[in-house]
Amino acid sequence: MRFNRSEMQQQLVFVGPALLFFTLIVLVPFLLSIYYGMTNWNGVSSTVTWAGFDNYKQIIMHDTDFRNSFWFTARYSAVTVILINLIGLSLALLLTKALKSRYLLRSVFFMPNVIGGILLGYIWHFIFVKGFASVGEWTNIGLFQLPWLGTSSTAFWGLIIVTVWQYSGYLMIIYIAALLNIPKDLKEAAQIDGASRLHMLLRITLPLIMPAFTVCFFLAISWSFKVFDLNLSLTGGGPFNSTKSVALNIYNEAFRNNRYGLGTAKALIFFVVVALITILQVKYTKKKEVEA
Amino acid sequence: MRRSKRYPILIGIMLLITVLLAACGQNNAATGESGGTEGGEKKVTIRYLSFEVEIAEQLSRMFKEYEALNPGVTIMFETIGSGADSASALRAKFNSGNEPDIFQNGGYSELDLWIDHLEDLSDEPWAKNVVEMAREPITRDGKLYGQPLKVEGYGFIYNKDLFKKAGITKVPETLAELEEVANQLQNAGITPFLNPYGEWWIIGNHLANIPFAYQEDPNSFIKGLNEGTKSFASNEVFNQWLDLVDLTLKYGNKNPLQVDYNTQLTEFATGKAAMTQQGNWASIPLLKANPDLNIGFLPMPINNDAASMNKLPIGVPNYWVLNKKSDPEVKKAAKALLNWMVSNEEGQHYLMSEFKQIPAIETVRGDKEVLGQLAGDVMRYMDEGKTISWNWFKFPAAEATSHYFADALQAYSAGKMTREELLAAFQNAWKNLNNS
Repeated sequence: MRFNRSEMQQQLVFVGPALLFFTLIVLVPFLLSIYYGMTNWNGVSSTVTWAGFDNYKQIIMHDTDFRNSFWFTARYSAVTVILINLIGLSLALLLTKALKSRYLLRSVFFMPNVIGGILLGYIWHFIFVKGFASVGEWTNIGLFQLPWLGTSSTAFWGLIIVTVWQYSGYLMIIYIAALLNIPKDLKEAAQIDGASRLHMLLRITLPLIMPAFTVCFFLAISWSFKVFDLNLSLTGGGPFNSTKSVALNIYNEAFRNNRYGLGTAKALIFFVVVALITILQVKYTKKKEVEA
Repeated sequence: MRRSKRYPILIGIMLLITVLLAACGQNNAATGESGGTEGGEKKVTIRYLSFEVEIAEQLSRMFKEYEALNPGVTIMFETIGSGADSASALRAKFNSGNEPDIFQNGGYSELDLWIDHLEDLSDEPWAKNVVEMAREPITRDGKLYGQPLKVEGYGFIYNKDLFKKAGITKVPETLAELEEVANQLQNAGITPFLNPYGEWWIIGNHLANIPFAYQEDPNSFIKGLNEGTKSFASNEVFNQWLDLVDLTLKYGNKNPLQVDYNTQLTEFATGKAAMTQQGNWASIPLLKANPDLNIGFLPMPINNDAASMNKLPIGVPNYWVLNKKSDPEVKKAAKALLNWMVSNEEGQHYLMSEFKQIPAIETVRGDKEVLGQLAGDVMRYMDEGKTISWNWFKFPAAEATSHYFADALQAYSAGKMTREELLAAFQNAWKNLNNS
């Protein structure tokens, strides 16, 4: 593609402002953090000392907390990505059927997404600690009597429950849009050929909404890897550090332990890992996309 | 045709200029504080950041009064605290260029960390009246960098009515007596301890401070830890302290890791347990939740030596400090405000009776009647000289170490760590944060 001059100018007008802000808000801080990642800056003092690759060595060789956080985030992401997509797609399939209340239900399922993560965390904190305990007292159902945020395994599942509840609705909307775009004639043709419902779902519907899978998996992976606000307000990384996501670990390192340099170095490592995973995922699901 | 094509560019350039101007304008608003001299009177805005959730309402009323008395002075008051991580929030504010003029500092390692930003307050009129125990944490090279907010103490708060109900007449002063009391309470169907082990600062700062404070010389013990000549595992006091921790867990509530500060206050105020570890700052919210609450302080004994155990950890938690890099006009106004708070009658009124806090300025004397039962107990222990020190601001990177202590204590209370592992985790955290 070649642009002539006036087209270049047009591009500048339309893309320019966005590019300017992207540079100021994303690109410049990113480059700065590459620099800070190689220093020993504590985040407050006016002296910054050069450390080279010492921070990276420290993280990879000695930092067990960071490793634990990575392992936790990986487990958390694996479970949430699968559950969010599964539930989002099921809801979408259900709510594209001729149900009377489908429009109402769509907004109901989408609703949790409108509330921000911090607030959600505090609401669910209350539900887990007070709400569940009261229900448990009345009904004696074991599930509600668990110390939900008090042990590492229940806190893990607590986080998952809230995440799934928050994001499934969003993916549901994307899947609904994709499902409504499937040409009717294909389905009718299959029906005339005598295809069963399951067959139609596996052979026609799912392949045709592959682009939606690409988007939804990408979103789910990047959300769950970057989980921060919900983690902060629901469990705060506790109990005993067992549910600390990488993002929270980075934040604590930089701002609580006064090691800004080390924190940014961690952030860069994290960036590379997440970028790799999402690139692989997009490549893989893109390959599966077909056209009708 | 050529003409019409130029329009978008022009518009684009104008847009860019507007954006840049807007950005600059914002910058001005953020740095230049004295906004012109209208009507001969200087207009000054003091940005005041506080971590004191308990007195947020009272502080804001005091500032309103000050604003009314001093036209031209506006105080932008903000409180961060409790569940929030106030130290991180302050750092974020500084990094984003949104620096407050007056904020808080805990002294010791926190003073070292922030000293580049702090104004020397030694020459302020109130500086000579600061009580002796409040000077050391905030003094460097003979210079005083902050105004102490208050004196505070903590220990086990106990519910006197529940004690009476269980037939307990003598207040426990040693570990064995504490266990006996806990036993008596349990037999009477009362939960002895409410353990707030879900809140990091209650255990990481205050509970973990106890074995430091009971060292023969806390400062030299901490120095020894820094130099690697002392260790947690080989220290007898830490072992004794874990006896106390075990006792609270044995006679404690279910699910201690789910109890945070707010839960602790509401449960204790409604009489769900007889004892809980907390400080006199909890007095206001506790009495708000239950005005009839009859409470007092018990010491936190770690062995059976009655003479040395009946002491409360008392210290100065926080200081108001002034941002050195603020505008000179703002600094002048901020100094006047700090002085007003401790020397003017109206300011003192808030300090003595509204905040329900024990003043740390000699010229301001708190009234035990007004301050309530908890502060009264702290003042009694102070007058009798039965105090031990506060040490968490001497830890490496101050409260960062406390967070690791809290994590380890949580794991210990859940049975995921043994004593040896707990003390090893303490050692690791200390070593890890000490060499940064």
